[in-house]
Amino acid sequence: MGWIDRISPQTLRILALLAVLALTVLFFASQIENYFNARLFNRVSSSVAIMALIACAQTLVILTRNIDLSIGSVVGFTAFATGSLVTNNPEINPLLLAAYAMVVGAGFGVVNGLLVAYARVPSIIVTLATMAIFRSLLVEYSDAKSITSDALPKWLVDFPNVPLFTIAGVELRAAFVTSLIIVLAVHIALSRLRPARKLFAVGSNPEAAEMAGINQKAVIFAAFVAAGALAGLGGFMFLARFGNITVVAGLGFELKSVAAAVVGGVAINGGSGSVIGALIGAILVDMIDTSLVRWELVSEFWREAVLGLLILTAVAVDAILMRRLIALRVRREKARKEAAK
Amino acid sequence: MNALKAGLVKLQSWEGFLLVVLIFIILMNASLTDNFLSVGNQMNLFMLSIEKIIVALVMTFVIINAEIDLSVGSMMGLSACAFGWMFQQGVDPVLAIGICLLIGLVGGFINGWFVARVGLPSLVVTLATLIGYRGLARVLVEDRGIGDFPQWFNDLGQKGLIGPVPFGLIAFVILFIGLYVVLQRSGFGRKTYVIGTNREVADFAGIDTGRVKIVIFVMSGLVSAFAGLLFAARVGAVRGDVANGFELDIITMVLLGGVSIFGGTGTLVGTLLAILIVLNLRNGMALLNITGHIQTGVVGLLLIASVLVPRIKLPTVKAKEVT
Amino acid sequence: MTTPVLALKDVSKSFGMTKALSGMSITLFPGEVHAIVGENGAGKSTMIKIMTGVHQPTTGSLEVDGKPLSLSGTQAARVAGIAAIYQEPMVFPDLDVAENIFISATDLGLVQNRVRLRTRARALIDRIGMSLDVDRIAAGLTLAEQQAVEIARALSQDVRVLIMDEPTASLSAHEAGELRRVARKLASQGVAVVYISHRLEEIFEVADRVTVIRDGMHISTRPVGEVTPDSLIADMVGREVGNYFKKAPSHATPEVILKVTDLACEDIFRGVSFDLHKGEVLCMAGLIGARRTDVALSLFGIRPATAGTVSYKGTQVRYTSPAQAIAAGIAYVSEDRRKLGLAMPMPIRSNITLATLASILSPAGIIDRRREREIAEAYRKRLNIRTPNVDLAVGMLSGGNQQKVMLAKWLELKPDLLIFDEPTRGIDVGAKAEVHDLIRAFVAQGGSAIVISSDLPEVLAMGDRILVMREGRQMGIIDHKDATQESVMRLALGQFEGAA
Repeated sequence: MGWIDRISPQTLRILALLAVLALTVLFFASQIENYFNARLFNRVSSSVAIMALIACAQTLVILTRNIDLSIGSVVGFTAFATGSLVTNNPEINPLLLAAYAMVVGAGFGVVNGLLVAYARVPSIIVTLATMAIFRSLLVEYSDAKSITSDALPKWLVDFPNVPLFTIAGVELRAAFVTSLIIVLAVHIALSRLRPARKLFAVGSNPEAAEMAGINQKAVIFAAFVAAGALAGLGGFMFLARFGNITVVAGLGFELKSVAAAVVGGVAINGGSGSVIGALIGAILVDMIDTSLVRWELVSEFWREAVLGLLILTAVAVDAILMRRLIALRVRREKARKEAAK
Repeated sequence: MNALKAGLVKLQSWEGFLLVVLIFIILMNASLTDNFLSVGNQMNLFMLSIEKIIVALVMTFVIINAEIDLSVGSMMGLSACAFGWMFQQGVDPVLAIGICLLIGLVGGFINGWFVARVGLPSLVVTLATLIGYRGLARVLVEDRGIGDFPQWFNDLGQKGLIGPVPFGLIAFVILFIGLYVVLQRSGFGRKTYVIGTNREVADFAGIDTGRVKIVIFVMSGLVSAFAGLLFAARVGAVRGDVANGFELDIITMVLLGGVSIFGGTGTLVGTLLAILIVLNLRNGMALLNITGHIQTGVVGLLLIASVLVPRIKLPTVKAKEVT
Repeated sequence: MTTPVLALKDVSKSFGMTKALSGMSITLFPGEVHAIVGENGAGKSTMIKIMTGVHQPTTGSLEVDGKPLSLSGTQAARVAGIAAIYQEPMVFPDLDVAENIFISATDLGLVQNRVRLRTRARALIDRIGMSLDVDRIAAGLTLAEQQAVEIARALSQDVRVLIMDEPTASLSAHEAGELRRVARKLASQGVAVVYISHRLEEIFEVADRVTVIRDGMHISTRPVGEVTPDSLIADMVGREVGNYFKKAPSHATPEVILKVTDLACEDIFRGVSFDLHKGEVLCMAGLIGARRTDVALSLFGIRPATAGTVSYKGTQVRYTSPAQAIAAGIAYVSEDRRKLGLAMPMPIRSNITLATLASILSPAGIIDRRREREIAEAYRKRLNIRTPNVDLAVGMLSGGNQQKVMLAKWLELKPDLLIFDEPTRGIDVGAKAEVHDLIRAFVAQGGSAIVISSDLPEVLAMGDRILVMREGRQMGIIDHKDATQESVMRLALGQFEGAA
């Protein structure tokens, strides 16, 4: 039995993504002088620190065959709420503050989850609406004020920039490391916690999930709540990185997070994908973004056009290759059975 | 007696419900301010959102067909920016308008081709082109603003064409009537509904479902490009972020109008009523000094209600159907 | 005397006006393989759904271990140790075999212990006696392997009654043999296995007892040693043939409209050859998995044949889309009204004109609504479609009336060749007779018809000739003069004279 029958589509996708990422780096390294330096890494890592969490949150929801368009508003709201809490209580424990962000985010997840799982309103409608509703709650809550970075405690403002380790001039900064650890933790939870495996079951074959006695409503609800909590944490990171928070914070993250997840091989029809994939998707997107700015041959304004092309190619190639792979496996299996006779 | 009954049945439909809501909102607004009901105010209200309104009409086709097009806002931006760029390069504006419409056609075809022929979900395809088309728009104008268009062009967006009635409104009326006839009266419209209801039934009846889908996406691209030009004319200048995020507003209007996200049901009249409700509601709230973001939030609540409210009615309707 | 693990006592089940089961009693003992045979539509699937808690009996009761128990839902059935596997197994493609087996297990803790999971999965797979790597991803599994996963899942939940519904219908001979061994093995471990199959030879190999059901009623239950293929066939078909199922005179003319030679499609079916005359009704008989529908779909251009020739009205044709077949005057009335036949939420009139939309359009492409209404009203009268008006959503009608709307859609095409796929399934007796009259009227006016039917009296009453298929092969063509229920069933089951 060869590797082709054993390797999971997920592992294959991640390997392919890493290859694409490596090719991208090599390509730009050949084009741009002194390309792979510490600044590139720092730049990419500090923006990925936020997007990785949000793409990870989005992945949880997409796995169950749903979508969360309210995620940008959740990020915005929690960034603001966390900011105002810490502004008023500068002595607050950092962990408590992060927990607060997660609880607020999870609260929004509860609203989405109840409406989608229990009231059975399609997720695209629910979250399209809550995207606007949560944003307007933010406007109400903020009362036309903004959070400014000078009102924030120093540790918080420093958080994204403090290097934890420095290897050959490349700094691994606190926010990025935290973010990586969380994504890894979610990945481990998704692959090792038995209840989490049900996300895949519900998303890939709802009918079979029903027959197997899985409580689909609870699973979908849990996915939205977890996504809310992760988005809340993303809001915390957002606050730490930007410091100045207005009512438009996190606008547009909903589609960016879907894009990162989809590039990372998460199937929009559910049941298939990994948060590691979403993380690499987020890195790839940001890497291309950052590199194009420095590439002299084309104007930096090509960034989004290239990104759009990348998503379309990724999805089309993925769809075609996966169909082929499964057909190939079935054929090999048949041939083996014939031979065994 | 029968006519009365028919009228009552009509009122029980979603469109009837929307009409009642609309009248209620208009009466509320009218009681808040004196000149609310004036034709000028209503027309002004309409013109401030004319681009979204026009695109919502074709979005109705797309969603009834059980697809979605997230790229409309970007296509509006691309078309507007392409016009600005060409104008700056000295291309004849009339030719430029033609090219912009062609861009819309090609952009829509790309969406449709990937959806109908490659078989990718439209949510993903149009998310990619949402980013991609916006990117092309930025490539063209970078971070500049381009303006100083010819006077006749700006006039199309800003002045009355026939008396006080502006070009945009005329275009809307023509488009509405045209699309209404196509969707509600033509063979193509029938196919749109059938495919949205059950694609396989349409396949088995010998309908080329892929071609219908491509045509609908092409219509969507074309009309978006047109709306983008209208925006350029109305504002008199373009930037890279023209119509950014419009797609979500447009989809909200269509869904609120009773078009099912699963396809197969909904009408253009429903969409029109939903548009009027959203506009009047926002206007009324503005009169009460409620800010834009909160207004959007209220529209969001309305959207969720639009799915939940018909369910409350369902039992009585069901009982009637059995007998 | 052992206590039966599961018993149905005088169970009846009605859906609206139709009675799917009446007075059904059956007893299952631990350690036996209990085969159930019956024609398509005899009530087998309703019985399974009652056993697995999907449906609740209208009257009658269930007993588990000799105690009455009502299964309120599928969960309750699972708790009672009753599980079913179907032809199309239900697996989760992105999870591996071990996880698929234990996805809803409650005793494995919160954190997945791979080693423990793998060990337990292997133990179950060993218990089944199949070789299957428990680390493989389900997406690449063959049908037989997917079934093994489902059986293992059932075993993991301490199954005591395992229902296998046509488990071998889509398997190769080798795989089917393996599955039968699994069934025997489970029985030897004390599980009561309900084995539903159309392959008689398989029943003689695997079963301890055989129950025959027909028309929703229990006919016989006997040890397998006491039955022969002939006695089973007699039980399956032994009904009184009512008056109205009498064969009408043939309208067939010598002119051949369709000539099919050695038609084949991948490994789905092969060796299909027949002539169809103008004015003739050719019935296609066979059981589940006979692949009759696939032959029809290839003639209609949905899944084109990969070998063989089709000559239609004297010219060789190969349609690759329904549009081409429709343009040539071939229509296919699907067996699946809900999925392939009708747009349920849409009005009756729109459904009737769906395949002929072009004929009611003005040059500008606008639908002539008056014309549409006229056409719909004409069919409403002609086919006696019972509805207050033609604007009603077709989904609101009864099954029989829905069927008539679907027929109207294709009759309006004025086709030369109409393929009917199970035209009377699930509709009441009155509507059945009306559909039969309609088919007869169609051929009397010079049309030709292929009628795919699993209803033997219908086949005998309608078919000028009867083509019998079995597992993708053409078994023979019988002239109606020589056809009896037994002779058709014997071919459909692959039992030739003298063969056991």
